Amino acid sequence: MVSLLDPTMLTNIFLIAISGTLICIAVHFIPVGGAPAAMAQATGIGTGTVELAAGSGLVGLLTASHMYAGEPNAPVSLVLAAGAMGSMIMMASVGIACGIMYAYGVGVPFASAQVKRDPITGARQDLYVSKGTQGHGVPTVCFVSGLIGAALGGIGGALIYYVLVGIYTPLITTSAAAVAGVFTVAVFYVNSVIPSYGVAGTIEGFHDPKFRRVLPKDAVTSFVVSLLSGIIAVMIAGGMV
Amino acid sequence: MSDIKDVPPNTLTLFGIIGGLVGIYLSPYFPTAGALGAMCAVVWGADAVRRVAKYGLGTGVPSIGQLALGMGIIAAMFSLALTRSVTLAGPILALITASIIGLIIGWLAQNVIKMKIPVMIRGMTEIAAAGVLIILGYSATVAGNYVFAGIIPKVFDNGVILAIFWVGTLAMAHPFNACLGPDERQKRLLYLAVSTGAITMTLMGIAALMTLGVSGVYTIIVGIILWLISYKKFWDEVYKDVASVLGTGLLPKTEG
Amino acid sequence: MVLDLTMGMAVLALMGALATIAGCLEDLETDVGSQSNANSQVQLAPQMGFLHRIYNKAISGEPVSYGFSAVTGATVTTVLLNFRLYPLTAITIGAFIAAIIYGVFSTTAHAGRIASQSRFKQPLYMDMIRYTTPTIIAHNFIANFCLIAIAYLQFTMLGFPFPIPFLALIWGITVGCIGSAVGDVHYGGERQYQNREFGVGLNTALSGRIVRKGESGLRSSIDNVWFCAKFGGPATGIGFGLVVFLTFWPVIIFRGYTWNTMIAGFIIVVLMVLLNRLLEVNIKNTYGPYKEDKIEKEART
Repeated sequence: MVSLLDPTMLTNIFLIAISGTLICIAVHFIPVGGAPAAMAQATGIGTGTVELAAGSGLVGLLTASHMYAGEPNAPVSLVLAAGAMGSMIMMASVGIACGIMYAYGVGVPFASAQVKRDPITGARQDLYVSKGTQGHGVPTVCFVSGLIGAALGGIGGALIYYVLVGIYTPLITTSAAAVAGVFTVAVFYVNSVIPSYGVAGTIEGFHDPKFRRVLPKDAVTSFVVSLLSGIIAVMIAGGMV
Repeated sequence: MSDIKDVPPNTLTLFGIIGGLVGIYLSPYFPTAGALGAMCAVVWGADAVRRVAKYGLGTGVPSIGQLALGMGIIAAMFSLALTRSVTLAGPILALITASIIGLIIGWLAQNVIKMKIPVMIRGMTEIAAAGVLIILGYSATVAGNYVFAGIIPKVFDNGVILAIFWVGTLAMAHPFNACLGPDERQKRLLYLAVSTGAITMTLMGIAALMTLGVSGVYTIIVGIILWLISYKKFWDEVYKDVASVLGTGLLPKTEG
Repeated sequence: MVLDLTMGMAVLALMGALATIAGCLEDLETDVGSQSNANSQVQLAPQMGFLHRIYNKAISGEPVSYGFSAVTGATVTTVLLNFRLYPLTAITIGAFIAAIIYGVFSTTAHAGRIASQSRFKQPLYMDMIRYTTPTIIAHNFIANFCLIAIAYLQFTMLGFPFPIPFLALIWGITVGCIGSAVGDVHYGGERQYQNREFGVGLNTALSGRIVRKGESGLRSSIDNVWFCAKFGGPATGIGFGLVVFLTFWPVIIFRGYTWNTMIAGFIIVVLMVLLNRLLEVNIKNTYGPYKEDKIEKEART
């Protein structure tokens, strides 16, 4: 039986809880317009909060796991960087493809209805919002915010995986990657669904007033749930021997 | 919503829990039973999703299924790992663990995130409990038992657990998502839940061909038969409920 | 496992090509069936008195449904590979079975949603189900095939630690995300509302008032895919191709995961931010603002 009070185990549990919270925070950064964005009715990427966060985070998990399988002695910072890189490239590619679509498929300039000027570039937003909409497209601030979110999500996923593979490998050598991967996906989904209920479908990124309003309570919820998952994950290892 | 009386939630809860547990406990003798048990849980879970998602979640309906099955995997692995010496206690402990996690998430969703869904706490508990039974039931069909040492090599190593996670999610969330609308009726939804559960069962039968051999064939056959019956029943309900069935033709005139 | 440069580039090119096809076909399939966010308008239309002849496929959001069909196919493929079938045969059969299951889910989604709208008198057209469902299955089959093939290549050639269904699930979710983020905008933002002026977002007041007349007769879902194949599908394909290609390009070039790889990856990201900014400035200058600034206007008058 693995002792729960062992300092290494406590650190591991804490790391999993932190990673879950990181994923939850990541969801708030990703500019998601939900159904209205698909009709160029709202700013952001036109898909669901859960899936965009998961889609980018899981690509990060793939790169992180691929790297860790190839170089098991790699430092943790490199594993996390690999996770962040995969997620960010995914998010950037989606953003670009999305931008091309809004620009040439629907023919609308990028504009946010939440702010008058883009906090990063200072470009005017309100003049470019067409009538009866909440903005459209992916302005620079949303793009950058999405990248921050993707990086956080990728780091969160990679960290859970790194911790769990470390715990499971001495106990179940060959199955460790698969079990840790499945567990990571499960924790990832739990932590990306919870904030989605908090933001209720749409959020533009860190400049959105909603960001400050919902982030603390979602983060607290995620932290509690991830802590619970962390304890359970570590206790599973106790049953493996 | 409609004049026809719904099956009460408590009946479905009992059906799901008893059916699910009996199926899982019978699976070492007859692996197909695991999937049948999981199907009871799918029907229960689909009804629980219906009760919660009716209030609007703010994002896609399947998200609640993913939450449930995500918790389900965590709870199932935990309970099976903890009960290696007393395997009989595994499924029951898993059910209890999942219910507790569901209760906690439901409570947090209601009181911290403030989702304003009156049935959230009960609904989340039920969905999480149904989720763990789905995971365990289908896993038992593929692995041939419900012990940790059997499930890890036969379900986790080859990736079938992901199919259980994802297809199980859809089996539970699809019925409500597909019947969403002002004239949604429980009976149609429950038939559809049996149908999606049976498709999942057939897929698990195919996976069991790899792990168990011939018992997979029984699972496939039972799954296809159940699917044919429930799919037919679903269409009967559709024909009964729909405004009109047309072979082809122009759009009917509407007022205004 | 790190392959030598030539072989690595070959596998990468193949994966990129498969991903491009998968992305394109994924988007076109969801336009035939009308799925995901843009489908909210098809769902809303009867309520606004706009009865229609468009498939209402609400299996779930695209990421979930594509994760579903990819993982189904990959599971069947794994079973068949276990029986020592040729990989190509195994992937084909796996993708086919997954596509059939997907077709079954499509019919229940359409019939269920239409039956739940009976108070708006929306009829259930049987001919539409008969000819649209096979189209959905066909598109889905190709997309599945490509996704499972990518997963197979990564598992056998690149040495990923996860089994094939795991990888296929992740790529399915990702392609679904991109299809719903990119291609759906063309379908929802442009095709469904072709009767309004080009170059504006959809006014909320117009929600649900979709175009129902086609180039010939009433518009069907097949007409929609004809339109979206001109831009929405290919753009989605490029998006997903870029994800698969660029994520692993630095890894192949720099022979594994080193800090150089990471730096190359981050440089790609920065370039994309700049590209997006250029695009933003370019279209804002080309199209111009919708209204004038109040202060500037007053200053002039």
